[in-house]
Amino acid sequence: MTQVDSPTWRVPPRWVLLVAVLSIVAAEVGGGSMARFKVELTRWARDGMLARPSVHGLVGVRDVDERILDEALVKFDAGLRLFHMHAEGMGLVIIATTMVAATVIRQDAARRAIIALLTTGGAGYPLGYLVWSALIPSYGLERSKTIAEWLVWVPFGTATIVALWCLVGVVAWRMIKS
Amino acid sequence: MSAPVRRPPLAVVLVALVMLALGETAGAVMSRLKPEIQRYARARVAANPAAHGFTGSAEYDDAVRDRAIFTAEAGLSFFHLHGEGVGLVLFFAGALVAAVVPGRRMRALLYVLLVLGGLFPVGYLVYGAAVLELAERWILAPLGIAAIAGLAGLWLALARRRT
Repeated sequence: MTQVDSPTWRVPPRWVLLVAVLSIVAAEVGGGSMARFKVELTRWARDGMLARPSVHGLVGVRDVDERILDEALVKFDAGLRLFHMHAEGMGLVIIATTMVAATVIRQDAARRAIIALLTTGGAGYPLGYLVWSALIPSYGLERSKTIAEWLVWVPFGTATIVALWCLVGVVAWRMIKS
Repeated sequence: MSAPVRRPPLAVVLVALVMLALGETAGAVMSRLKPEIQRYARARVAANPAAHGFTGSAEYDDAVRDRAIFTAEAGLSFFHLHGEGVGLVLFFAGALVAAVVPGRRMRALLYVLLVLGGLFPVGYLVYGAAVLELAERWILAPLGIAAIAGLAGLWLALARRRT
């Protein structure tokens, strides 16, 4: 029985674990910062939006503008929350999935490629929520979402999904063969 | 001193990975295909007016339709969340069972319970696609109980383990 065949785990490369743990740490810090600096963050976003009234469709009528600002601030806050949640979750997903990849994929090149995709995709994807939140004051709700989508969510999310389904295929193939 | 850590059977790993992959894919589908999903849900509701209790009153029917579409979207959202979470729970609990639970039969029993519990998120897909009652009674409750029983068994095995 080779080392790969034996029913024990193989640990993924150290850089992968460092990235995964860093993602979890960033999520924790993000969660803590959201709670600790809620007022400051809200004030920063609000000031940013008031400085660009045309971007947000502010008309100068208090009743109308406050509703627009409130909606944008809810989304700004949601982006931070989603970063907190996804970075924690994806950190764990990176550890679990790269451990499986390191254990079951025999070919060096394929193993390295899948591990790289799982790690970069998993760590990069949650950053999209930070980008979205950070861009809302400057670019408005829709434009900031589009930027985050095409700059971060689509490439990194696709990398993770493709690598995960490839890994599912490899594990299923190994089960059929054994 | 470190030693090699035993891994669970590939079937357990496969179910955990499939749940994670489905959870990820559902998240992407929710985000990219939101209008299409809403259109599909609207069309399904329109095709089954009797099942939704439409009365012919536009105001009432609109409210019923909106609630049905919201429910379908919530089902997909819960599936995304639980697919990721339960996939990880199954993975790490399965790894713990393989590493620390003595006795092949005990391990096999816990794997079966955990794998059944790992299928729990599928109930939310049914929840989104069918009637809430059916999903709760026939899918969510038994699979949820299996997950709890598996985790409780793992806890007991850990508590009884001699160091």
